[in-house]
Amino acid sequence: MKPAKASLPSDTEVLVKRSFDAPVKLVWRAYMEPDLMRRWCSGVPGWSMPVCEMDMRVGGKYRWRWRSDENGQEFGFTGEVLEVVPHARIVHTQIYDPGDLGISMGSEPSIVTVTFQEAGGITNMTTTIKFASKADRDEAFATGMTDGMEMSYKRLDGVLAEV
Amino acid sequence: MRRDVFQAIADPTRRAIIALIALQAMTPNAIAEHFEASRQAVSKHLRILTECELVTQEQKGREIYYRLEIDKMKEIDKWLEQVQEIWEGNFKRLDALLAELKQQEKQERKK
Repeated sequence: MKPAKASLPSDTEVLVKRSFDAPVKLVWRAYMEPDLMRRWCSGVPGWSMPVCEMDMRVGGKYRWRWRSDENGQEFGFTGEVLEVVPHARIVHTQIYDPGDLGISMGSEPSIVTVTFQEAGGITNMTTTIKFASKADRDEAFATGMTDGMEMSYKRLDGVLAEV
Repeated sequence: MRRDVFQAIADPTRRAIIALIALQAMTPNAIAEHFEASRQAVSKHLRILTECELVTQEQKGREIYYRLEIDKMKEIDKWLEQVQEIWEGNFKRLDALLAELKQQEKQERKK
């Protein structure tokens, strides 16, 4: 499958697209069942997902938390499910909880819309994150830059260790 | 109001202007010819793009040419690449998990 493609459809949104070689009912399960989600949604290397609680019914709440293997620092997301169309669409709010990571990423909830569409055994998944404001998106941008840099440094460390 | 590269690309006309002048620097008149919008509207977009530091003006004889600052555009690409990299890490694990679930289903059918 082609790697994930991210784009900016508007001033406040980020869109990520990816296809999976599996029927939609399996992709849906992997997104809706906490035991399954925890296995793939662990984020960047060196982090685990110790908390993955989800009640994915309309009005249900979820809580995701990630922890650094290296120093135990944590951050997370919480939110509420707004809409569920089985095997097709889920909409939920998302509130960033900086934990002890100390970086800010906007205080207003963003709205995450995930769509699933199967064609010939391949499932296309789109994730749209709509930030409450452009300022919040820009803050996430700044955070992404820092995280990204840190990741690159870590990779560089790995490369250097091999030399 | 703060101007940045994200604001520059937030508007479809501005995105089209960027695509146009990515190929070569152009005068405001030449740019306006490509759009149904009024000359004033195009000028306003060019002003915003300039304030976002995504385009620069260049005087050539009596004409002003607008040129795209490619390096500034790359800031967006870089950010998007990082977003993609983080998601792709998750999605690769999801690929593996889905393959496992498919296998399980197959075995259950056999039973």
